[in-house]
Amino acid sequence: MATSNPTGAALALWNPGADEHDPISARTYGFWLYLIGDALLFCSLFASYAVLDNPVNAAGGPLTAQVINTPHGLWQTFIILASVLAYSLGTVSLKNGNAAGVQLGILAALLLGGAFLYISGTDLWALAAQGNGPTRSAFLSVFFTLLLTHGLHMLFGILWMLVMLVQVGVLGFTKDVVGRLLNLRLFWQFQATMWVCVYFYVYLLGGAR
Amino acid sequence: MSSHYNPLQHPEVQQGTTGRYIAAFLASAALMGGAYYASTQKLPLMEFAATAAALSLAALVSQLALFFGLNISQAQIWKGVALFLAIPLFIITIGMTVWAFSSLYSRTMPMDGMLMSGQPTLLQ
Amino acid sequence: MQVAVDGPWSPLLGRLSLAAIPYDNPILVSTFAVVALLGIVIIGAALYFGKLGYIWREWLTTVDHKKIGVMYIILGLVMLFRGFMDGAMMRTQQLLADGPNSPGYLGAQHGYLPPYHFDQIYTAHGTLMLFFAATPLVAGLGNLIVPLQIGARDMAFPYLNATSLWLTVSGAALCMISLFVGEFSNATWVGLMPFSEMPTNPGVGVDYWMWAFQLSSIGTTFNAINMIATIVKMRAPGMRWFRMPVYCWSSLTTNIIGLSIFPVVTVALTMLGIDRYFGTHFFTAGYGGNFMLYVNLFWIWGHPEVYFLMLPAFGLFSEIVPTFSNKALFGYPTMVAASFSIGGIGWVVWAHHFFTMGMGPELNGYFSAATMLVGIPTGVKAFNWLFTMYRGRITYATPMLWALIGLVLLLIGGLTGMMLSASVFDYTVHNSLFVVAHFHCMVLVIGAALFAGVTYWWPKVFGFKLDERNGQMYFWTFVLASLLVFVPLFYLGFAGVTRRLDYIYNPALKPLLWVSEGGIGMYFVSLFYFGKMLYVSLRDQIPAQADAWGTGRTLEWLTHTPVPFYNFAVTPQINARDELAWRKAKGVEGVQPTHYVPIHLPSNTAVPVIIGALATVFGFAMTWRIWWLSIASLLAIIIVVIIRSFDKNEGYVLSAEDIAKMENQVALASIIAEQPKRPALAQVEAH
Ligand code: HEM
Ligand SMILES: [Cu+2]
Repeated sequence: MATSNPTGAALALWNPGADEHDPISARTYGFWLYLIGDALLFCSLFASYAVLDNPVNAAGGPLTAQVINTPHGLWQTFIILASVLAYSLGTVSLKNGNAAGVQLGILAALLLGGAFLYISGTDLWALAAQGNGPTRSAFLSVFFTLLLTHGLHMLFGILWMLVMLVQVGVLGFTKDVVGRLLNLRLFWQFQATMWVCVYFYVYLLGGAR
Repeated sequence: MSSHYNPLQHPEVQQGTTGRYIAAFLASAALMGGAYYASTQKLPLMEFAATAAALSLAALVSQLALFFGLNISQAQIWKGVALFLAIPLFIITIGMTVWAFSSLYSRTMPMDGMLMSGQPTLLQ
Repeated sequence: MQVAVDGPWSPLLGRLSLAAIPYDNPILVSTFAVVALLGIVIIGAALYFGKLGYIWREWLTTVDHKKIGVMYIILGLVMLFRGFMDGAMMRTQQLLADGPNSPGYLGAQHGYLPPYHFDQIYTAHGTLMLFFAATPLVAGLGNLIVPLQIGARDMAFPYLNATSLWLTVSGAALCMISLFVGEFSNATWVGLMPFSEMPTNPGVGVDYWMWAFQLSSIGTTFNAINMIATIVKMRAPGMRWFRMPVYCWSSLTTNIIGLSIFPVVTVALTMLGIDRYFGTHFFTAGYGGNFMLYVNLFWIWGHPEVYFLMLPAFGLFSEIVPTFSNKALFGYPTMVAASFSIGGIGWVVWAHHFFTMGMGPELNGYFSAATMLVGIPTGVKAFNWLFTMYRGRITYATPMLWALIGLVLLLIGGLTGMMLSASVFDYTVHNSLFVVAHFHCMVLVIGAALFAGVTYWWPKVFGFKLDERNGQMYFWTFVLASLLVFVPLFYLGFAGVTRRLDYIYNPALKPLLWVSEGGIGMYFVSLFYFGKMLYVSLRDQIPAQADAWGTGRTLEWLTHTPVPFYNFAVTPQINARDELAWRKAKGVEGVQPTHYVPIHLPSNTAVPVIIGALATVFGFAMTWRIWWLSIASLLAIIIVVIIRSFDKNEGYVLSAEDIAKMENQVALASIIAEQPKRPALAQVEAH
């Protein structure tokens, strides 16, 4: 809206209708910020891991090399990457509003995520059953905590996927549903990225020492 | 927010492509597989660490560029800036902590306990 | 799994039993009486005036950033009062329990507080002051002002914003409950390790502290995300980065810090939690535990946290000094750069809190030097404020007085901080009252800035100013009290008094302890003037102008006073850094929009307050180890969130006629006024 000041020059003072912000951009950006915070959470776990992965903190118990299964870890890496791929391809179907494609992608991602958790779960369970559970030493405490933190994130992602499977069917592609689908993709991808860090730091480096 | 707003036309939706995602998967999987392969090769520790670090870093970058789709376009720039601000913090948190505690341990902990892993140490 | 706990445990009530109620402690019983009485009076008044529905509809379920800001500030002020009472009790104990011949009352050997109770008081004091007084006040002002200053309708995520508030409230509620059910932690606000672990601290106190801390941290992290997204994404047209007011810049830097540090302390506390609940060994004294790791993680969060609180204070000074000097802020770009460098440096100096750990001269040297560096950007800011005042037309209104005393305190606190940053010096005064005096000077800077901010923006929010005369009395008595309380502590610290003592060994220190106690008395006088100021201003309610102080420069002074709930009837176009000053220069500050377009606003929702209530229950159940209730409340939170995600509510539209009506009669739109119910829109599916 233009107004003129006493000298007659045109001044733009008001901007009717300018508050049409883009909700999806704001939403994915906010979620991205949350992921950065989450990355710092993992980062502090890695720092703690680095400190406690030390004979002094193992209290006579095992250290990384004795508790990991590097080939299993590699399989998990492939599985989680495939899961992310499946979900991402699902969101490609979103481009032309193909609900079945989206749901199929989510379903595949969900199953692969379950397989990942199954491997993690059985490995950790076996370790604990040998008497090397998280209460054995400070090192094992941080080992379990790091892996379970990642696992809990995955579990949360799976719950979220279940909800989205229903929402895509019940609500259709509303603004909120699309925003959530996009954020879930970021979240799921983030878990794979964190897993790459875990695999590198714990399985490869820790295994080599 | 008006009624003609079509979420499916949003750039965040439209940016993904099948090719890019498949490329991301292949690159990451190959790089991590390579890192695993290096671990089976009985390299000297430092050499292996450097190889594995380089490959994993490349895998992370491929994911950022291809899966997350970070770039410097108007739509993505602020995500990139946020990440760029955060990366030094990751390095500092881990790096300074490790430095402080390795220095502390070398001053205060029984050294033979550090060398003979699996042996009971004075702390118990 | 449940680590064996001392004393009885039952599946239904966990560790909770009647013995948890401290009815044999006269201090706690009388506190309870006062709190209960106040609660009854408030609820009774709401009932009597028929306002309960209004409070629920317009406040508890609101998503309006201004109301949320106001509620944050109320929470902060209430907790400030409780924290102050704790402080007063501590000073009085130290005064009484001075020397071997000092008398003992109420079952204490010296003074009137047994050590265990005293320890809980200083823990509560620190926790409350930082998380439930300073943080909510900072967050509240940020909420109130940032969207107005950038010309936005609301925060980027209004619903998340309300959730942040209620999570913070739930943490505060846990602290209050701990007063009357069980006990609070006695392990200091930083959580001494391994003292906070189960073997040495088997009670519920540490759990209360831990959950209160965790819940409020989550709230603060959400708020940080919201603020950053708002500033990045919601600026009005023309509000380019370098036209943003410095307060918005400092909010941005502060929330970048907040987002990056709170996860770290979440990890530290979670590790303590799993140690306590599952018997792991992160920080225990045996099994390879490393309690210095906790200290390290804690201060990675802890030092940036002090700047998380300080930067908004700097931002407030940067708004208030120009307004009351009637002059543009000096050195705007350097102010922005200084905020970022303070944030950056603040992130890399944390180990100066444990120089004495023994990490060696290289690291101590680095952390000393890095700590000293922060003086440079801080100095830049201080000089910029001075140059802003230089040859300005200064009005000594209350906000300006607070800002000025803030600068003085910053100087004292900063110089003593510089002394502490030399590790060799720190070895001698570490953990002494000298440190206490140092950081209280710093915290009082924040306090001064917050009082300045509240006084400054009060008229914008409520439509009338706080009474100047009583405000100035409050100011002077408060400043006098602060100096009396804290300046002696510098000397006492040098004299060898360590912090957190329930008994002081040396009767020769009595005179200084008396001076400090005199300051506490003075604080009570200032409290009286604070109350009188509120009373007089509420009674008179002299209407204020849109530009309440007459020399405002930034956007928030452009809209009506009191600010309508929709902020601006029409989004302004930004033409300059100090938009209002620019409009004044062009002679168009009074020009109003001539026609309106409908405004889209989010509907209120009860979900955030329900989440807050459930979070309180969850924290309480975890504290008392009532497992079924913990699981039930956690599940309930998840279910509530899922149910809400199926809601199609798309907010409502304020029609152009409604806006026109309210623009002519601003009181109808003030945040105090009750709004009629407006029908909600439903989201539609995309094709
Ligand atoms: C932004 C304002 C500041 C606040 C709110 C603040 C707060 C604090 C707090 C709370 C502590 C005590 C921690 C504890 O032992 O419980 C502390 C200690 C310390 N502060 Fe500050 N500080 C501020 C600025 C500074 C500055 C500007 C410096 C130096 C340039 C500084 C240097 C130190 C040092 C070295 C210690 C450690 C002393 C010790 O524990 O022995 N602080 N500060
Ligand atoms: Cu510090």
